[in-house]
Amino acid sequence: MEVNPVIEVKGLNFSYNGAEKVLDNVSFELHKGEILGVLGPNGAGKTTLLKTLLGILKGTGMVRILGRNVASVSPKSLAKIIGYVPQEHHIVFPYKVIDYVIMGRAPHHGMFSVPSRKDYDKAYRVLDDLGLGSLADKTITEISGGQFQLVLIARTLVQEAKILLMDEPVSHLDISNAVKTMNLIRKLVEEKRILGAIVTLHDPLMASLYCDKILLLNKGRVEIYGSPREALIPDKLSQVYGVNFNIIRYNNKYILVPII
Amino acid sequence: MENIYKILIVFSLPAAIILSLFIGPYPIPPGKVLQILFNALVCNPQLGSAASRIVLYYRLPRVLAAALIGIALSISGASLQCMMRNPLVSPYVLGITSGAALGAAVALAFLPLFIPVELVAMITAIVAYLIVVAIAWGWGRGSIISLVLSGIVVNALFSAGLSLAEYFAPNPDKVAAIVFWLMGDVGQAGQWPDIIRMALIIIPCSIVLVMARWRLNILSLGDDEARSLGANPVFERLFFASVAALITASAVSYAGIIGWVGLLVPHIVRLMVGSDSRQVIIYSFFLGGTYLVLADDLSRAMTSQVIPIGILTTIMGAPILIILLRRAGKVWR
Repeated sequence: MEVNPVIEVKGLNFSYNGAEKVLDNVSFELHKGEILGVLGPNGAGKTTLLKTLLGILKGTGMVRILGRNVASVSPKSLAKIIGYVPQEHHIVFPYKVIDYVIMGRAPHHGMFSVPSRKDYDKAYRVLDDLGLGSLADKTITEISGGQFQLVLIARTLVQEAKILLMDEPVSHLDISNAVKTMNLIRKLVEEKRILGAIVTLHDPLMASLYCDKILLLNKGRVEIYGSPREALIPDKLSQVYGVNFNIIRYNNKYILVPII
Repeated sequence: MENIYKILIVFSLPAAIILSLFIGPYPIPPGKVLQILFNALVCNPQLGSAASRIVLYYRLPRVLAAALIGIALSISGASLQCMMRNPLVSPYVLGITSGAALGAAVALAFLPLFIPVELVAMITAIVAYLIVVAIAWGWGRGSIISLVLSGIVVNALFSAGLSLAEYFAPNPDKVAAIVFWLMGDVGQAGQWPDIIRMALIIIPCSIVLVMARWRLNILSLGDDEARSLGANPVFERLFFASVAALITASAVSYAGIIGWVGLLVPHIVRLMVGSDSRQVIIYSFFLGGTYLVLADDLSRAMTSQVIPIGILTTIMGAPILIILLRRAGKVWR
């Protein structure tokens, strides 16, 4: 059987006003069991890329998700495939964790229905599974940033999403929570609970530790795309970030360390 | 604790309605009132007695009108707060009030008497809302901020129109009529045909919002997240906002401008039963009815003259909201 990519992007362009290209001829693939790290300085187009994959923004070029053109998939069907963990999260109403997580069932419901007992069972199972069971009745303003990040991931699991798109999931977390979050994503992929994940990251070190493929964006263009070994080229990275890097081999991984 | 509050809120509405029937300048013993109600319910209203007529044609419709208007303003306020992701939004944000006010003023000052004021007010309220939506849709693609901003603009425009109508009103009596209408009065809707017409809009529209109560949670996450959960936020928000607008227009065109209910009641409900829209919508329905029935009791019973309820709800609402905001500071950081 031919192995189809989970997500296939070819020649993707996007601009907000028709003038400056925010995404410029972006191509890459996400394969089964992979975590793709999208790196790049601020304004490189990382968030825009995720939003085009989600169909929130419409670019030109090809975006195929599980072999289907994303433009031809309804938001509801797409939501059963892709789970999105946004970066900025402005909490207006202090919902309880369980009420928040249960919203992942929305793609499986219509406009006028409410979640059932079964939906709740599923949500509690996922929370227990991620070790968040004790938080279920707390409000999301009462829990820590690291816990909230896990709650967001729990929501995508309740959603039964097969692919995770995460926007800077660890940028505002301390190292212990960042590692916990990334370990969880790794585990989900390894246990085949999700087909793959695309994670935008600020920190090249995190990308080198956790990602199977790295996509380095700069001003909307793909600077580098490949496995950490292929992609982590110190010269290229220095050009993009304006800082020099060293590559260290550690535990069979290629780790990127800035030279200070 | 939440469950106790829920039970209290639900039972507060029938309790308030029945207790309010005992209140009025003409003394009727509570037992007699209940007997009259019972007779009417078993289709044997004895309309011969003055007491029966007072209870069935004066007190009951007025109390029911108050309950309906309270329900209308609270449920539309609660749903708009969710879908606009803003706890400070009231049903009046969409230009509906000033639209209704202008229509009522024009009808009271210039139009012949046989044209019903509430009909003109309803039409202008809906026109104002459609202008708000047209601006928000045309220039802001239906985003939240574009809806709120165009609501502010249209409110300002129609308020200027209201001032013009007052300025050019043919005589001082007409100005007085406009001013009195603006203060809000449940009694204006206190006839059975008015109540039935109001209920025909408010009840079905409220049922739509109650049915969509969980969807409002999804919309309150913001457009990107709602979309990633399979919703079509712009279309859905416009649909639910139109339902809320229709409810508000119906209440306001009959009873004038009754402030604070739509802002305040959902806040009280959130503090009592939590923020989940499923709870907020349902319990705002009940508590809104109770709140306005009690406010109307005060407006009837405090002095020998009826005090306009719009003034009372504002006087009652301001201190409650200050206390709530102080407490809510902890919740909303």
